[in-house]
Amino acid sequence: MKRLRIDRWTGQLLLARSGPSPASTPRAAALRSAAVPRCTAVRSQSTIAVPQIPKEDDDHHYDGTDHTRFPPLEQLPPRATSLPSPPPERALQSAKLAALHARLSLPERLPLQTLARTLVDASADENPQFSNTNLAFVGQSLINYHVAEWIMCRYPRLPMSIMYAAMKGYAGPTSLHQVARSWGVEHAAVPGGEVDPGLLQFSMHKPGDAVIGFGYRRAEADGLKKHKWRHGMSSRVVFDDDFGEVVDTEDAKDELRLRADAEYGNEYTRSLAEKAYATCARAVTGAIYAHAGRERAKAFVEAHVLSRTLDLSKLFVFKKPTRELSLLCAREDFEPPVARLLSETGRLSRTPVYVVGIFSGKDKLGEAAGSSLEYARTGAAMNALKSWYLYSPGEGVRVPSDMLAEDAAPWEPAYIDMGEIIGH
Amino acid sequence: METIVTRPVVSCCRQAVLSAPTSSRLVLSSSTAVPSGIRQKSTAARTRKALNIPPHGSFLNPNSSAADRNARPTTGQIIYNPPSSAASVFHTPFKFLPKQDPRRRANLASELFAASTTINYPSPTNNPTQATQPDSTSPSSQSPTDLFPSIEGEPRYRARHHLTKADIEEMRRLRAADPVANSVQNLSLRFRCSKLFVLMCCQAPSGHREKVQAELEATKARWGPRRAAARDERRARMGMLFRGEL
Repeated sequence: MKRLRIDRWTGQLLLARSGPSPASTPRAAALRSAAVPRCTAVRSQSTIAVPQIPKEDDDHHYDGTDHTRFPPLEQLPPRATSLPSPPPERALQSAKLAALHARLSLPERLPLQTLARTLVDASADENPQFSNTNLAFVGQSLINYHVAEWIMCRYPRLPMSIMYAAMKGYAGPTSLHQVARSWGVEHAAVPGGEVDPGLLQFSMHKPGDAVIGFGYRRAEADGLKKHKWRHGMSSRVVFDDDFGEVVDTEDAKDELRLRADAEYGNEYTRSLAEKAYATCARAVTGAIYAHAGRERAKAFVEAHVLSRTLDLSKLFVFKKPTRELSLLCAREDFEPPVARLLSETGRLSRTPVYVVGIFSGKDKLGEAAGSSLEYARTGAAMNALKSWYLYSPGEGVRVPSDMLAEDAAPWEPAYIDMGEIIGH
Repeated sequence: METIVTRPVVSCCRQAVLSAPTSSRLVLSSSTAVPSGIRQKSTAARTRKALNIPPHGSFLNPNSSAADRNARPTTGQIIYNPPSSAASVFHTPFKFLPKQDPRRRANLASELFAASTTINYPSPTNNPTQATQPDSTSPSSQSPTDLFPSIEGEPRYRARHHLTKADIEEMRRLRAADPVANSVQNLSLRFRCSKLFVLMCCQAPSGHREKVQAELEATKARWGPRRAAARDERRARMGMLFRGEL
């Protein structure tokens, strides 16, 4: 890799960032000035149009751009390049923002300025009045609430671990990252006041200190990671975040963060991008809630998050399925399960196929095909357990938030299962 | 207009599940009783004749007269004859439905009269084309117990809860005194209980356990690379099965 010769580059941002910052907190200003050399390193690879600053009397804000070589594409307000994120009044001129607003069919009451704010990550702008942190917190709570109540009412028998996995599958950062990508949101290479407000802005070099979820930092978090200590489901419910995952700090990623400057990208930068996209999707939900109300936010979550396909039967992993099934039958006062051979072919051949069904009394609980009797029996027990856990009262099951509507019918209690099978 | 549906649709999956045991029963009966003087399909004519099977009942006119019953239906109707497929785990068996579920209440009457509402077992005398139409209201004389063989042997000892505290103490004393003569198998035969119960009650002395472990290690050391790899693969395949990858 060629050595980066920073001193030969056009020092636009170096000069602009050293000027007086509009951010009110001195801590934020200190952080930003500390991050300047890294930013310029990626800045040179940016494909964003180099903006122009109108000539001012004091050349303190002269950005050093050769305006004959790089003619301005857009008239920027004064000192735009010195801001960490685009000023809100520029949102009205952005074609990307208007297109995103129309593409998502957002309500008229949601102004473009708020939509522009949802695209500014906390790592780009530390000032919470200009970043999407607050909106994302609201959006995260709303999305997780609606997803959790929907899963709980739709599949009331899911074990807690599968419930967590399903929550993550619907509302986790990876899924919301995909949702935001599918909206056509693109990101700027480096955040700044001069970039188009319709681009998602986040920093590849610092994670930002935005808190957009619940969960405690465990005292034994290091031991959990290093020695793989056991942490049971009950402590996950109490301590960990909404997806049952240990709340991690950024300290562990120092080494990756250092390498992020030299490499084109690593898993740390990818996780930052994923997090920023997910935060953006949450912030849009929060913005809809703030401007258009509860019903629109719920409809938005249903349309963009709950409408996604997730095969819950693929989430299951069993250890002793036959034993778990006999425990279930004993608990529910069913007859003990018996595996019966429904059909077979090629028993003496190289590729036999056995179809085994598991019966409790006269009722068949599950059925599977396998290449040996043991495999088929185990598979049939797994299918029987899955069909127990994946019981659903129906597709149009009501959720508690339906009662918030004005003309809601009286509430009928949802089905609550007695719990998962203990002893496996 | 005649429409032929070749791909299963969700609303009809129940019928596909219900019709599955029919073919399996036929396979079983044909495999169990193979006559010795069976005629081989040695010529093209015999092969053609053997392969010339009547169409499935769903392709025929069910309501017409006997003369044109075998003709293709001329009226507009949907022919549903999907390929056989594995049962969906999202179709909850009748037994797993909770008490207040409307599906359970709706099927309860037929459950009282039929052998099972989960699957309807056709009797051997039935016409195969008739058997594919599930009729959950008609009682079936055959139960799965006499239709399908169990692949698990009967347990040697059912739990009778006949052992007292003194018996268990005696079992422990015997096991500790001479673990070779009083093996788990021998103790289970002597006390007429399952081997699992013996294992739950007593533990071999540590010297015996180490000796058995050393014997096992010596046996494993004698395995060549093929046998060791085969066992590893078998274990890996079992793990894949548990994760639903197989």
